[in-house]
Amino acid sequence: MSGRPAGPTVREAVMRKRRAVATVAGFVLVSGLATACGGTASGSAGGAFDPAHCQGGTLTVLAHAGQGKFDPAELYTSGGGRVPTLVFRTLTTRDHTAQGPASAKVVPDLATDTGEPSQDATVWTYHLKPGLKFEDGTPIKAADIKYGIERSFAPELPGGPPYLRDWLVGGATYQGPFKGAELPSIETPDDSTLVFHLTKPEGDFPFLATATQFAPVPKDKDTGTDYQKHPISSGPYKVVSNDSGKSIVLERNPYWSRSVDDQRLACPDRIVYTSGLDPAVVNQRLVASSGDDARAVSGDVDIDASVLARLNGDPGLKSRVATGYFGDTNYLAFNPNVKPFDNPAVRQAISYAVDRQAVINAVGGSAVAKPATTFLPDQPAFGYTPYDYFPGGPNGDPDKAKQLLAQAGYPNGLTITLSHSVAGSGNGPAVAAAVQQALAKAGITVKLDGSSSDDDYQTKTQTPATEPGFFLAGWGADWPSGGPFLAPIFDGRQILPEGNFNSAQLNDPQVNAAIDAANRLTDPAQAEAAWGALDAQLGKQAWTVPLYHPVYKRLIGKDVKNAYVSDWTGVYDLSRISVK
Amino acid sequence: MIRFLLRRTVSTALVLLVLSLVVYLVFYAAPHDPARLVCGKGCDPARLAVVRHKLGTDRPLWQQYWEFLRGLVVGRTYDAGSDSTHCAAPCFGWSFQTDQPVLPMITQRLPVDCSLAIGAAVIWLLLGVGAGTLGALRRGRLLDRALTGLTLAGIASPVFLTGLLLMMLCCAYLRWLPFPSYVPLTQDPAGWAANLALPWFALALVFAANYARMSRGLLLETLAEEHIRTVRAYGLTERRIVVGHALRGVLTPLITMLAKDLGSLIGSAQLTEAVFGFDGMARLLVDAVNQVDLPVVVGVTLFGAFFIVLANAVADVLYAVADPRVVLR
Repeated sequence: MSGRPAGPTVREAVMRKRRAVATVAGFVLVSGLATACGGTASGSAGGAFDPAHCQGGTLTVLAHAGQGKFDPAELYTSGGGRVPTLVFRTLTTRDHTAQGPASAKVVPDLATDTGEPSQDATVWTYHLKPGLKFEDGTPIKAADIKYGIERSFAPELPGGPPYLRDWLVGGATYQGPFKGAELPSIETPDDSTLVFHLTKPEGDFPFLATATQFAPVPKDKDTGTDYQKHPISSGPYKVVSNDSGKSIVLERNPYWSRSVDDQRLACPDRIVYTSGLDPAVVNQRLVASSGDDARAVSGDVDIDASVLARLNGDPGLKSRVATGYFGDTNYLAFNPNVKPFDNPAVRQAISYAVDRQAVINAVGGSAVAKPATTFLPDQPAFGYTPYDYFPGGPNGDPDKAKQLLAQAGYPNGLTITLSHSVAGSGNGPAVAAAVQQALAKAGITVKLDGSSSDDDYQTKTQTPATEPGFFLAGWGADWPSGGPFLAPIFDGRQILPEGNFNSAQLNDPQVNAAIDAANRLTDPAQAEAAWGALDAQLGKQAWTVPLYHPVYKRLIGKDVKNAYVSDWTGVYDLSRISVK
Repeated sequence: MIRFLLRRTVSTALVLLVLSLVVYLVFYAAPHDPARLVCGKGCDPARLAVVRHKLGTDRPLWQQYWEFLRGLVVGRTYDAGSDSTHCAAPCFGWSFQTDQPVLPMITQRLPVDCSLAIGAAVIWLLLGVGAGTLGALRRGRLLDRALTGLTLAGIASPVFLTGLLLMMLCCAYLRWLPFPSYVPLTQDPAGWAANLALPWFALALVFAANYARMSRGLLLETLAEEHIRTVRAYGLTERRIVVGHALRGVLTPLITMLAKDLGSLIGSAQLTEAVFGFDGMARLLVDAVNQVDLPVVVGVTLFGAFFIVLANAVADVLYAVADPRVVLR
């Protein structure tokens, strides 16, 4: 999972990997039994969904990984995550009211619009909606949002995304509000207005404003590192209990209403988040759907082989599966400072030779992954521009690869090393072996180099001094736009001595300028076109070999209605679900 | 007896001290950087340094270790600039990941592990010793051979298999029991038992097999001894011979075995906890290892070791109670 802060949080990405391991270990066994025992639930959530009459009941979220820390300053969730969006409202949010690709759109939340940029997009102004209140009835003011953002700068509350520190004037040196210092680049001229001064043009600021760091925090209720135990709610639910994020119980916030929030429906009276469950158990409980589990959804667990196998024979079950996407690309990374990867023809030959179908089979088949020939995920919000410069088809073109290698001076093939993680993830041994076999057909002998742990692998691949020449990597975006996808991987100014994701160590002034130009665009359509064009330009140089984009398929209980997977987060939108 | 206890206390402390040092060394030797995990994605070097300082990982190993030992006795203060936190003695450290003192994290989970271990032990003793006794009394007959086969199957079945099968059968298919989730005993005793029934049983099956084989062998051995022949000559009923005399000889080795098993259960209950979704010490340890949360790793390891040493000491004492020939020095 190197180079993969994929998913809404780094921790989630790590958990996702673990989930895969556990699924394989535990549940090969049960796949057969599931059909034998047949503890099925009958039918799907019947009846039409009516938002006007959906209130009541308890929704259970069954998850493998815990929610982790629950301080808005420390959360690294894009678009408000699954549970955080129930408690923390932010200046903007993802579009909760839409499904499919449209759900990746940014819309106003606490603010009246997605932000008014200055001419060059370096100053952003927001106005708060009237009537907003915290869970204790006190009004939400601009100063509370400013304070919430300032807290995220405190070293005591680490873990949040780095953008605010890079983007806000003075952010690089600001150490948080606990010693009384304020951040002057956030102005609050009155109780309902916020003005942000940025160091450089950032057309994506409305996307960043969906981060939980933009949730209001009342200064007099701040308990520092203890705040996560009971953060003050600005959303439809308040925290009743929180066991270090492992189990969280939420109840309705009496001061929230749909009249002040057009994004969330907040149908259930109570939401119980339970983690630590074996992925297979989560799936079996949802399949069985008995008792409270009928009103449960999967928090982070994808359906496994046992459920997949049953879907076609059980239409009731099939109707309880939702498919979603999250901007995420798994790829082969090259370090051109290591021979022979400095030779474009070698990189191109490998691009031709790769067998994407074999890779997809290695990660679980076409139900959970789709082939990628572009670095940007295939959703419009990212600026997806289709291209395939090295068309090897689904199984690769070893002949074309051999031809290129001969031109490059390797008529008898060559031997290279592919580094991979030992974790059972998209960067693990199974994918590495699939790549190895495909390249062998083109005369490329691949030696595999597995790291002893995921952590080692990350450190090794993210440090330019130790970066291998050829390795498996993945990238997930913080928000559905080309910026957070292309800039960390290809911007020469983002090459870091450690924690580096620009694995090609590409520092091309033209590319950097194109990134700046795209960042300046505040019109989403123009920005999408610019990012798509940049991706298409970078693709020609074969700095990476895109392999696949993951697909998420998740189950719900039989008495759950209006559940769909958000294309921003790849998880169910808990704020719209209702239970019978 | 008192000398024995004193000696045991001193040796326990020494064992724990050495163990803590070893865990520290192993952790330090690994090329991990907990600060990077805590700091998150895209953390710049300056901020990383601040986080490293807060976690204390920028100081030399011996200094970190010394601070840990000192904290156990006098408590310690974590200085993070503007927000310093005090951890009262005995301070087992401060979790990197959850920003809490380690000790309460462990003590919160103890009831889960104790419930799991004690309940399972009662079942495996009943099943194991019962099956072993039956097997010994019906030696060579069909029942004995069936029980021997079953115990083999029991030893060979890991918890993740039996646990999942039991859940499929009892929760999903027959719907006799809820899918297990831990309910505290004090909150709802019936719910506690209902939710623990399957984990107890799954765990007990694995251990019961060993106890059945052990007690069968021991009982056969004892029944062949002279003092049994003597009481038999007195005309006692077979039941009184077995229950009143023979089983007593079986007891002492079983106590030793039980103590060791209970002590190490905290370490080996991970699969049970994982399969049934219980939030116990083993899960805490696994999470901590994955998240490079050194203070939690050290804390849980020391607690686990403490229980093993304690269980062995208790076993020695019980040994003396059950067998008058044993004298503790």
